[in-house]
Amino acid sequence: MNRIGRWVPVAVLICGAAYVVSAMTGRRGAEGRWRMEEFGRIPVLHQGRCKPIDTLARTTLMVLSGRQTFVDERGDSRPAVEWLLEVLSDGLRHHSRAERLRVFRIENDQVLNLLGLAERPGFRYSIDEFRDRIRLIEEHAIRAQNRDSDQRDLFDRKILELANKLQMYVRLANLEVPLMLPPRSGGQPWRTLRQAYEELQSTGDEDPDARAWVEMLSAYAEGNASGFNAAVEKYLTDVRVRMPGEATRTRFEAFVNAFQPFQVGMILYLVCFLLVCVGWMAWGEPLRRSSIVLMVLGLLVHTFALASRMYLQERWGVFVTNLYSSAVFIGWGTVIFGLGLERFCRNGIGAMVGAAIGFVALVIADNLAERGDTLEMMQAVLDTNFWLATHVTTVTLGYAATFVAGGLGIVFILRGLCTRSLGKEQVRNLDRIMYGTICFATFFSFTGTVLGGIWADQSWGRFWGWDPKENGALMIVLWNALILHARWGGLVRPRGTAVLAVVGNIITAWSWFGVNMLGVGLHAYGFMDRAMACMVVFVASQLAVIGLGLIPAKYWASFKPEKESVAAV
Amino acid sequence: MAEEAPGILSQRRRKLIDTRFGRSVLKPLASLKLTVILFALAIFLVFAGTLAQAEEDIHTVVGKYFRSFFVLIPARVFFPRSASVPGEIPFPGGWLIGGVLMVNLLAAHAIRFRLSWSRLGIFLIHAGLIVLLLSELIAGLFQVEGNMNLYAGRATSYVEHLTEYELAVIDSSDPESDQVIVVPGSMLRRGRLVEHPLLPFDVRVDEYFENSDAADARSALWNRATAGVGLRVAAVAARKASGVSGQTVNQPAAYVTLRRKGSSQVLGTYLVAVWLREPQAVMADGRRYEVSLRFKRTYKPYRVHLLEARHDVYPGTTIPKNFSSRVRLVDPTRNVDREFLIYMNHPLRYAGETFYQYQMMAEQGGSVLQVVRNPGWLLPYVSCSLVAFGLALHFLLRLVKFLRERAEA
Repeated sequence: MNRIGRWVPVAVLICGAAYVVSAMTGRRGAEGRWRMEEFGRIPVLHQGRCKPIDTLARTTLMVLSGRQTFVDERGDSRPAVEWLLEVLSDGLRHHSRAERLRVFRIENDQVLNLLGLAERPGFRYSIDEFRDRIRLIEEHAIRAQNRDSDQRDLFDRKILELANKLQMYVRLANLEVPLMLPPRSGGQPWRTLRQAYEELQSTGDEDPDARAWVEMLSAYAEGNASGFNAAVEKYLTDVRVRMPGEATRTRFEAFVNAFQPFQVGMILYLVCFLLVCVGWMAWGEPLRRSSIVLMVLGLLVHTFALASRMYLQERWGVFVTNLYSSAVFIGWGTVIFGLGLERFCRNGIGAMVGAAIGFVALVIADNLAERGDTLEMMQAVLDTNFWLATHVTTVTLGYAATFVAGGLGIVFILRGLCTRSLGKEQVRNLDRIMYGTICFATFFSFTGTVLGGIWADQSWGRFWGWDPKENGALMIVLWNALILHARWGGLVRPRGTAVLAVVGNIITAWSWFGVNMLGVGLHAYGFMDRAMACMVVFVASQLAVIGLGLIPAKYWASFKPEKESVAAV
Repeated sequence: MAEEAPGILSQRRRKLIDTRFGRSVLKPLASLKLTVILFALAIFLVFAGTLAQAEEDIHTVVGKYFRSFFVLIPARVFFPRSASVPGEIPFPGGWLIGGVLMVNLLAAHAIRFRLSWSRLGIFLIHAGLIVLLLSELIAGLFQVEGNMNLYAGRATSYVEHLTEYELAVIDSSDPESDQVIVVPGSMLRRGRLVEHPLLPFDVRVDEYFENSDAADARSALWNRATAGVGLRVAAVAARKASGVSGQTVNQPAAYVTLRRKGSSQVLGTYLVAVWLREPQAVMADGRRYEVSLRFKRTYKPYRVHLLEARHDVYPGTTIPKNFSSRVRLVDPTRNVDREFLIYMNHPLRYAGETFYQYQMMAEQGGSVLQVVRNPGWLLPYVSCSLVAFGLALHFLLRLVKFLRERAEA
């Protein structure tokens, strides 16, 4: 490596670190006279969890419009928390402003037709634009609701989706959600502003917190920035004294919301993947090292994000609590596996596969986040940190290892078929790490599945019930065991192992997602329709790779007779 | 792993393989090719058995696919529900695949494996898997599940089996104890006439719905029922409960015509359904009987009193945070009278049975326990300890070997 080459990784590290730091601090930007950031830290209780109002704003806006920002009437992009403030304070204005904001994403052409709306880029509409048709939405939604769930067509599902969004909006605007007023003494429940208002009407008792909220909201509605800032400051100081634990946690959560560490990690992994790819064509070693630097940086950010989720949920050691966090954790696991492989082989393959799957897993997670708050409260039966930490973690690591093996299989097939770079030595190396990874996958998926059985036995008396999720996990175990036994029996060689490992991708994707899609038509909202399409595309792509892998070895660029002997592969 | 060289094998084993039996039966049975084929078959069976749960309830699927020797897999399970694809694929069932897998494993050990340190992991794994297969067999054969519905301030001494039904005829004329005669659900088929010396009347089944909904009888064009609650309520057929539909239990209903014993004199046509809460009174030969269709019951020597049921939700939501039941269990046969707290993930194990907190009946202030008897419940624990230990050992030895080789190279 020449001298410049040695400095490339350092330069890349500096750029990457600068990017991370800017994401941590800079994204809040100029917000002018309004102290929105402070306001966003105010704790509220929503869906059973104490969270900053910033999270409520982001997750709600995400569900309504598929974004965490909105465009105001002047065409400027503004943060979600300002939208929520508009909605909450709307009742204090003479003319509604919130209802003029284009935040309802409606893509379905039949629904648009019903509402008399024209398609526009982004598909976002305001209530003002379809106010006179709301009754129509209601009628159609009730009709769809009464239909048997699997009789509902796309229009029915979309109109129900829109009705749900409207309902969500109305509850916010009526101040029925969230629970804004923390208990003033132990044993009291949280209350909504509406409840406090009704109390005032009937008993004349005024809640000081309700008063503080009204001050904030009316100052905002009047455009009185200094009044608003003072009211927010006063209320937050009070809250910090009364519930220091919650206040610290919500403050931290608001910071994580702005940082968006999973997105940062996603970008780092993507760049890392691209660097390895370029490195294979030119300037190999410096770029490989640079990519590892970025991957480690991404892993640090990723780990920070996972740890912060644990802190916010007060569940240390519990990585996975729902589908969203399983995607995040699979990404994390694959990156670690990838780095581990890279440590052994130093050829860029581990980094490439780890970064690629890590990136895709985070993209999947990002899409799953559109369904609302990703830090959900756990149903009673799932509410046990011990089993969440052991069973769910191990089984998800099994998924991650199986995906890594599949990724290595894809590398093997594409490299062998399309390039001349897969010599005898490379075949042996790649085969070995595939084998090792499959061993890991077998171990984790088996242990995880059995731990799940034990949990089931502990909580409902059935070690094994053959339900879809269990079956999915069992299929992964069986598939990995099949590959191992096929190798031991000499039924497959490296090429066969690669092909079988790619099949493992399909099986794992099915267990992870397909099982949840069995109920399509039941509680299918927009998300699962789209996931189904993605699933089909993914399976088709894997089948294509498998097809390529089955092309006889004599047609593979790497194994052309003039170079190496075909017989060994 | 590759087969070991003949030289290492013991004399006895070589003899065994050299026999005709060894060559033509044992060797193919022990082959890894067979193992791989069996794994592939098992994966396909599990896949089909998962898809099938889109239209059938889990209990039926388990019986048909996994606890059977053969299964006819309907081709339509592999296609979207809107496409009705005809035809069935005959396929080996779970017991057949599991059984052959077991034979394959035992045969492999009989002729190929030799106990050594480097193979110890594999031995442990395989021993654990045998225990696991056996445990599933025992669960399939002997596991009994039922529900116990507890109501505040009442004692319950029976368990209901939600997949079996019975038509109960109760004679409560004796103030000491009721006399209950039951017709098993398997006999309730449309057009069937049930006669038995113990029954106070003959029962003709006019109509039987495996799953049903209630409807208003007055709006029906034609009502079969001529007496009882069926004059007001009608039963209509509903689609069978399926594993993914959310409704997990079928709610059967039947129209039955009761006739005087051995004659054609009709006492009335009644609607009976598991969703009808109260039994209906029927007069026959001057005596009063009560008739109801209900989930099959097993009476227990003990009774359970519900002292307190708690159903906590997270504030501002309907997400359950905690279910728990404080119960008093009275068992005169074992001289037990104690209080227990049963809650999520904390079952009560008593006299070979395990009581789990299952559901809450919010409106009646009641609680449902699931009661399971499985004589093999410990086996999976043994199995997974063996396998996990074996896997860890084996892969660790491999890893050490791999690292040593690398270091040498």
